[in-house]
Amino acid sequence: MIDSRLRPHIDWVLLSAVVVLALIGLVMIYSATYDPTTETIGPQLSRQLLALAIGLAAGFVCLLVDYRVMTDNVGLIYVGLLALLVYTLFFGLEVSGSRRWINLGMFNLQPSEFGKIVIALVLAVVYSGERTRDRRIQDWATGAAVVAIPFLVITRQPDLGTAVTLLPVCGAIMIFAGFRLKFLAVLAVVGVLLSPVAWTYGLEDYQRTRIASFLDPDQDPRGAGYQQIQARVTVGSGGLTGKGYLQGTQSQYNFLPVAHNDFIFSVLAEEQGFLGVLFVMGLYLFVILRSLDAARVAKDQVGMFLVVGITAGFAFQVIYNVTMSAGLAPVKGLTLPLLSYGGSSVIATLMGFGLILNVRMRRFIN
Amino acid sequence: MYDGFASVNRDRNRKLLMVFSVGIAFVFFVLVVSFWNFQIGQHLRFLEMAENNHLRTLRLRAPRGVVFDRDGRVLVENRYSLNISLVRERIEDLDEALAILGRVTSVPFQSLHDEVARNSTVPDYRALTVIPDASLAQVAAVTLRRLELPGVVVEQVPTRYYPSDSLASHLFGYVGEATDEQLDATTDPRVRSGAIVGQSGVEQRYNEFLMGDDGERHVMVNSIGREVEMIDEVPPGAGRQIQLTLDYDLQRAAESAFQAGGYTGSVVVLDPRSGDVLSLLSVPGYDPNDFALGIDSDTWKSLNSDTRLPLQNRALQGRYPPGSTFKIVVAAAALEEGLITSDFKVSCRGGATFFNRFFRCHSVHGTVGLEEAIEKSCNTYFYTIGNMLDVDVINQWSQSLGLGVMSGIDLPHEAQGLVPSRDWKRKRFGEPWYPGETISLAIGQGALAVTPVSLAVMMATVANGGTRITPRLLKAVRDDNGWREIDSSQTFETVEMLPTTIETLRRALWMVVNHEGTGGLARIEGRDVIGKSGTAQVVSLTGRASAQDGAIDFRDHGWFVFAAPKDDPQIAGVVFAEHADHGYLAAPIARHIMATFFAKQNREPLPVLPGPLPGASFVDADGQ
Repeated sequence: MIDSRLRPHIDWVLLSAVVVLALIGLVMIYSATYDPTTETIGPQLSRQLLALAIGLAAGFVCLLVDYRVMTDNVGLIYVGLLALLVYTLFFGLEVSGSRRWINLGMFNLQPSEFGKIVIALVLAVVYSGERTRDRRIQDWATGAAVVAIPFLVITRQPDLGTAVTLLPVCGAIMIFAGFRLKFLAVLAVVGVLLSPVAWTYGLEDYQRTRIASFLDPDQDPRGAGYQQIQARVTVGSGGLTGKGYLQGTQSQYNFLPVAHNDFIFSVLAEEQGFLGVLFVMGLYLFVILRSLDAARVAKDQVGMFLVVGITAGFAFQVIYNVTMSAGLAPVKGLTLPLLSYGGSSVIATLMGFGLILNVRMRRFIN
Repeated sequence: MYDGFASVNRDRNRKLLMVFSVGIAFVFFVLVVSFWNFQIGQHLRFLEMAENNHLRTLRLRAPRGVVFDRDGRVLVENRYSLNISLVRERIEDLDEALAILGRVTSVPFQSLHDEVARNSTVPDYRALTVIPDASLAQVAAVTLRRLELPGVVVEQVPTRYYPSDSLASHLFGYVGEATDEQLDATTDPRVRSGAIVGQSGVEQRYNEFLMGDDGERHVMVNSIGREVEMIDEVPPGAGRQIQLTLDYDLQRAAESAFQAGGYTGSVVVLDPRSGDVLSLLSVPGYDPNDFALGIDSDTWKSLNSDTRLPLQNRALQGRYPPGSTFKIVVAAAALEEGLITSDFKVSCRGGATFFNRFFRCHSVHGTVGLEEAIEKSCNTYFYTIGNMLDVDVINQWSQSLGLGVMSGIDLPHEAQGLVPSRDWKRKRFGEPWYPGETISLAIGQGALAVTPVSLAVMMATVANGGTRITPRLLKAVRDDNGWREIDSSQTFETVEMLPTTIETLRRALWMVVNHEGTGGLARIEGRDVIGKSGTAQVVSLTGRASAQDGAIDFRDHGWFVFAAPKDDPQIAGVVFAEHADHGYLAAPIARHIMATFFAKQNREPLPVLPGPLPGASFVDADGQ
């Protein structure tokens, strides 16, 4: 299927690391959904297995098709994404007040998870190409607009957490595209100045509670601060070597909410201890650095931007989730890519790595 | 198509990639350090928090020892009650949980709320009982809504049970959670916060035997507080069984006779040979079952505000002038001091004058000897020998016979009576004793106060011929080797009295009951009952005249001390009937008790009271 000249250039090391992480994810999901009283597991594991299979297939497709074919048709892809997002907004499955999923029968698709890849593709196209002049404000405005549309739609679902994951993709590509750091500084100042306004008008009540409780979790230990405290307890009680597989009291007895999803890393920290944390963090760092290396060797700018964007989104999500798992960041519905339960997240992530492998594999092809 | 990926850009991109890589690696490093801090640095702290989360230590309350009467009849035992409790740590919204709980159990929200507020010092993780002794319907309702009510648990707790309600309530006492003072004072490791200990009566006095050793169960619970696994269990050790000297049938007889008489007051019945307390009664009583699960504040308030003082154990805490029963002591003192013989005669013309003051007798008795004077309770006779006696001699004989001193009964909070002396007068009032005061002291009036139990000891001592017994309730304790009898005879004291003194007193007291005296209502054919009535003035005659509103009952208290049979007493005691007006009205109660005693001894059917006793007064029984 793949051109025989390309096959030796597949980054098997990166692929292996990714697959190992996904397998660790399966093992941890098994533990997190295990019920020690009935000695059964939840339905999540088999769904995750299915998603993994679909994800590998989708990732393979992303590897197979030359990324330049995709960048050439980026408009279509972008419109497709927006269509899905808008459809979700109006006809999506409503779960506790938000519409984030499209019901596909076997499982629910979360289109916003694919936003990162699409944004990376679009921005890679926007900022590549012959540069005849210095970047102007219009260039940045174009990029911002590309991100702003899906961002706003996703926040209306509402799903601020997933929407926010678009920003590092955008930021990273723009910096590589020549965005000066002094602009960044100006933006930071503006952001700080605007934050009270955002606090008042931009956030939902539950979001304000989350942030407030993050700043002082003990204030309301049974309420919003509960997850934070329990996350720390879960992680801290794991110690050096952990309590052992299926032996984590915090996760097995449900003291840690959504353990199989947002807090899968806490489960790992509890059961496998600091050594487990070190191992998985090492794998993640390796995957990120190896991906950035694909950007370094990329044949063209569009490929490099694409890899940088996808990797930045991935890295951001890993860092944020791990920080949150230790109770050091406000609780957001952000998955840990590859480890967390979540079909769309797994599929989108594997597609992303398909693209990264794609760029690296085709680095010698003209 | 190589799109001008210029080397300038390439360099910048490589630099940026390097910065990105180093930046991300640094963030990872910081994260790893944070995990190190939590997992290694603060590991023990978080481990403890995790264990607090899922490890629960449940106290397994030990049943207290069963209490038997002298015949082996169960007086106090335990039953299992179901308590609905809250583990507040597991409850997110307490008011909401209380609202649901109140709705399903039909308990007003406010009372649940008050109960929680009252126990706010109970730690969050410990179960706080809000519905003690819940009905099965309430338990079922709560169990069905377990998912809505995380943190609401049903506990099965052994609870003290007094099968005969208020029978001998003061004697048994009641139990309650150890108070802070008790926790501070104790050296007993079993008395821990939340432990149930005796708070009065036998429950308190013999807590060391009765109290069990609470056990513990360590369990794992999940986040909604459901027990998922038991780790280990230290089973509770039941308290020891004890046997009391109390005779259930006699106690019942005393209570029903008191009920029939309609009085408040007290009864103490002793075995004059051993000091065994056969019956001990204080009326009105209370239901100790009310305390077993923590008394509710309304009941507690009404017990405390009741002017009839139901919580007071009159038998050892009530102090009253002994009236004419004191003449026994005065007669004994005069005989033993050699001031008179039984032939000593006094002429009673309705009173006599001493120190320029006329002291009244209630009748004109003519010339009477000692025995007749006791039989007819002649005041003039006793004024006369009182005039011959020194107050300190009377005081000394009172104490020898058990008045004005503690009886030493094995119950807590005994009050000490008062028999005046020169010393006492000087200390109390800074005045010397006036000889005229001895005159009224000789008939049991004046600054004289005795408890019913001490008067019972006096009567037992006279009846048994001079052995001042110590009343005791504990007959035997069951330990690992079976029942162990308790011997308390080493605390007995011998009062040296001439056989003639004893003989004279017994004869005189026999005449009180069996001849023309005031104790005729206590007579039992063939049982040679001896006894003496007494009337304790509630207020002086002038005081009574000045109180016109009638709000307080100024009628005098009646005493009756008794023993039987005369020459070999097996039972002795005292009946104290408040506001009975005269002691002879207390005699039928004594008679019923003795009749029961002898019927039981002969294995005959126990006597049944025919109806209200002579002179029955139900005014106080209604609480008016």
